[in-house]
Amino acid sequence: MKIKTTAAALAASFGVALFGALPTAALAAKDYLVTAARPNLVFVMDAKERKVVKTHTIPNTSMGNSPITLVHSRDGKTAYVIHNRWETVSGIDLDSGKEVFRAELSGGDIRGKSPFPMDLSPDGKELAVYVNPTQLLPGEYKVMDPYIAIYRTDAGTDAEPVRKLKVPRRVSTLAWSAKGDTLYAFSWDMLKLDPQTGAVKGQHPWRSWKNGEQGEPDTLAIWPQWEQTNVFATPYYVAYANKPEGDPSALRAGIWTLDLEKDTVHFKEFENARVVLFSSVVNPVRRDETYTVYTQLTKVNTKTGKMDRVDLDHTYYNVNVSSDGKELYIGGTQGDIAVYDSATLKRIGNIRTPGGGDQVLTSLRIFQR
Amino acid sequence: MREIKHYRVPSRTAILFTILLARCAVSESLASDGTAEALVNSKCAVCHSAKGDGKWDRISESRRTPEGWDMTVARMSFAHGVKMTREERSSIVKYLSDAYGLSPDESAAHRYIVDRTPSVVEHPENKLIGDTCARCHSYGRIAVQRRTEADWRKLVHFHVGQFPAIEIQAGGRDRNWFEIATGDASVELGKVYGFESDSWNKWKAQKPADASGSWRLVGHKPGTGAYEGTATVKRTGNDAYSVSMTVRYENGTSEQLSGSALVYTGHEWRATLKSGEREINQVMTLADGGRSLSGRWFESGYDAIGGTLRAVRADGAKPTVLSVQPAALKAGTRGRLVINGVGLDGDVSLGNGVKVLSVAERSAERVVVEVESAKDAVTGPREVKVGNARSGDALKVYQRIDYVKITPDHPMARVGGNGGSMNKVPAQLEALAYTVGADGKAGTADDVQLGAMPATWSFDNLNKVAAEMKDAKFAGRIDQTGLFMTNDAGPNPQRKYRTNNAGELKVTAAVKDGTRTVKATAPLIVTVQRFNDPPIR
Repeated sequence: MKIKTTAAALAASFGVALFGALPTAALAAKDYLVTAARPNLVFVMDAKERKVVKTHTIPNTSMGNSPITLVHSRDGKTAYVIHNRWETVSGIDLDSGKEVFRAELSGGDIRGKSPFPMDLSPDGKELAVYVNPTQLLPGEYKVMDPYIAIYRTDAGTDAEPVRKLKVPRRVSTLAWSAKGDTLYAFSWDMLKLDPQTGAVKGQHPWRSWKNGEQGEPDTLAIWPQWEQTNVFATPYYVAYANKPEGDPSALRAGIWTLDLEKDTVHFKEFENARVVLFSSVVNPVRRDETYTVYTQLTKVNTKTGKMDRVDLDHTYYNVNVSSDGKELYIGGTQGDIAVYDSATLKRIGNIRTPGGGDQVLTSLRIFQR
Repeated sequence: MREIKHYRVPSRTAILFTILLARCAVSESLASDGTAEALVNSKCAVCHSAKGDGKWDRISESRRTPEGWDMTVARMSFAHGVKMTREERSSIVKYLSDAYGLSPDESAAHRYIVDRTPSVVEHPENKLIGDTCARCHSYGRIAVQRRTEADWRKLVHFHVGQFPAIEIQAGGRDRNWFEIATGDASVELGKVYGFESDSWNKWKAQKPADASGSWRLVGHKPGTGAYEGTATVKRTGNDAYSVSMTVRYENGTSEQLSGSALVYTGHEWRATLKSGEREINQVMTLADGGRSLSGRWFESGYDAIGGTLRAVRADGAKPTVLSVQPAALKAGTRGRLVINGVGLDGDVSLGNGVKVLSVAERSAERVVVEVESAKDAVTGPREVKVGNARSGDALKVYQRIDYVKITPDHPMARVGGNGGSMNKVPAQLEALAYTVGADGKAGTADDVQLGAMPATWSFDNLNKVAAEMKDAKFAGRIDQTGLFMTNDAGPNPQRKYRTNNAGELKVTAAVKDGTRTVKATAPLIVTVQRFNDPPIR
C-alpha cells in the first residue's frame, strides 16, 4: 500500500509538470480520453499512447467528494464537470487547466444540487444543467420544483442561467439532439423538450411503455457516452408478471437506445438477467454493437441480440470506444482504465490515472484533436 | 486499500456519533433542567424559534429515544455548524429526551433497533411506511420516533434536500417517491406514529424512579452462555449513577465491571462499564417503578458481541426465581442445577419427574442442588419453586433433542479492519435445541425450546456462485463457540475480480444428544463495511 501511495504521488507531480497545449492541427487527429477523479482532478489521456498527458485540478471544491458528470466541448477544448457536492459546475480549459466557466447552483438560502443530468448544445454555446433546489429555511428544508438551468458557455466564472426550464422530478440524463432542436430529459419517461421554452413536445415511453406482460423497466442512466454516435444507450432490466417467481426468464436484461439524430428508439432484450450492468456505449463504426460494463464486459449486437462476455479483473463503471471502433476504454475504479479489443474482448493494455483518487461516478469521454 | 480512504468523511460522522450516551454521567455534571433549557435557547433557538413553555419550532413537534436525539443534535453540529462542547451536547440530549421521549410501551416492540441486536430481519408493520422509508434504512428507526404529520412531511423534505440521489437510486426511482412520501405516507406516519399519545402523557405524569440500591441479575451471552451476578447502583446526580457489577458465567469465568449510568426519559438506562480494558455499553429499560431493569449490552466497537440482561432489586424484593443453570435437563440423567433469584428460602421443587437429591449450597440468592430426572419424565417446561419464590418455566425437561435451529436465523457479518476505518463485524451464532412436543410435529406451538447447546460448527459455500468464487476459502473462520470472524476488508488480489472477502456461506451446527447428532444449517452472509453506522440504523 505504501508503494502504491508513493507511486501515485509521484505520478501526480509529473502530471502537473506536463505543460504545453494539446495538438490542435488535424494532420493526424488522435483520440484523447477525458475524465475526472476524486477529489478534484481532471485527466486528459492519449488513448493510443496509454498515458495521461494532462492532470488539471478543479479549484474551490469540496475535497471529501467526487466530481460527477463530465461533458466536453466537441472540439475537445473545454470539459464541464459537476463537483463540490453536486453544487457547482466548472468548465476547465483542457490545455491550460484554467477554470473558464463556473456556475454555482446554490446561493442565498437555496441549496441547488445537480444529480448527474447535464449536456452541452451541439454548437457548444449552451450548457443545460438539471437542478434540484431546496430552500434551507430556519429549522426546516423545503424542496422546490426542479428546473433545467441553461447557461451560455461564454458566461465566465460567475455564470448565471440565461433561462430556466420547468421539468418533472427524477431526471437522470439530459441529452441534446444532434440538431439542437430538442433537449431530451430522461425522467419516468424520455421527455422531448423544447430547449428554448421547456415545453414538452412529446415523449418516448418508458414507464408508460406497454409491451405484453412486461412490468416497468428499470435503469439508472447517469453515464453520457454518446459523443461519437449520437446514440444514447442504457442497459435495463424488466420483470415479466406472467412468469413464476424463480423462473430465470422472469427478469430480463436489455439495451435501450435513442438515436439523437433521428429521434428513434430501439430496444433489445438479450438475456435473462444474470449480472450487474452499469453503462453502455455504441460502437461508432459497427453501430449495431454496444458494450456494457461492471464486473463483466458485455458485447451485445442490438439487432440480433447475440451476446459475448468476458469477466474483468475488477469492477468498472464507464466505457467508451476509439474513433476507429477497435478499442474499448473502461474505467471507474482503482485508478485504472483498461483497454480492450472490441472485436475479441481481449485486454490489450491499461492507463493508470495518477493521484490516488478513483473516477467513481464521473464520465469517461472521448474527443479527437 | 484505497477504497477505504474514500469514506473518511462518513467514518468521521460515525466517530462523532460514538460519544456514548452514558459516558457523561459521572465525568461531567449535567446541566439542570433550567440551565439545559437555556442551552437549547442559546444553541438551537437561532434557527428553531422559541415558543415559550419549553417549546421550539420543530424541536417540540417530535419525540425520540436518547439515541435519536443524539443523532439529531450531532447532525446540527457537523452539518449546520452549531458549536457545542461535549457537556453541552449531553445536557441538550438529556433535556430533550426527558421532555420529548417515548414511553416504555411506545418503544417496546422495536427495542432491537436501539439496543443494536444483530441480524434482525424486520417485518414492517405498515406496508406504506415500510415501502416509503424502509428500503433504505430500518423500519425500527421510524417506529421509535413520534412526530406530528406536518413534521413527518418536513422530514421528507429534509431527506430530498440532504440526499439528492434518493429519487434516482434503486428502491426510490420506481415510484413518484417525493409525492408519495409527502402525501399518503406522511398522513399515515402522522396516524401510526403521531406526536400525541395517551401512553406518553401518562408516562410523563409519573414520578421518576430511583435506580440506586443493590440488584440481582441474570443473563445470557451468546457464545459464552448463561450468567448471573449482582450489581450495586449509587446515585451520583440527577438520573446519574455509578454502577459496579459482578458477573459469573456458567463456564466458570467471572468478571468485575464498573462505570456509570444515566437514565433518560425516566426509563432509558444507558450505562458504560469497564472490565479492565474491555468496555461494554448497556441499553436497557428501567421498569416497575425502578424495581426491574432489562435489555441488551454490547462491547464498544463490536456491538454484535454482547448479551441480554435482566435484573431485579436484591433489597427487599419479592422472592423470585430468575434463572436455572443449565436451563434444560435430559430425562434419565443426574446433574447439578444452580437456581438464581432473590429471597430464596424454603424447599426446592422442580416439578414432575425431577427429584432433588441434595442441596449442595444455599443462600437467599443462589441455591445449588443435585437432581435426578426420571427416565420417563414427560418432555416440557417445569415450574421451579424455592419456598414462595417461583418462576414459570425456568427449567425444561426433555426426552430427546428433535431439531436444532441456528440463531440469528439470517446472520450477517461484515469484513473490516486491514487499516480501514471500520472494525470487522463478526456473527455470533448459537445452536438452539428443540423438542417437537406432544403432537410430534416440528414448528408447532407445543414445541419446547431447550436453549443453546454446545455444537460443532463448520461452514461451506452457500450456492453455485459462492462455490465458483470460493467464498468459503476467503470469507472468514468460525470457532467452536459459534463465533464467525470475517477476513480483512479491501480488494483481495487473490480473488476473481480482485473482489473483497465478502461471501455467501452455509453454516452448520452439529449438536450431540447422547449418541445421536442433530444438525442445523443457516445461510451466513458476509458483506462489506457499513461506513455510515449511526446509533440507530
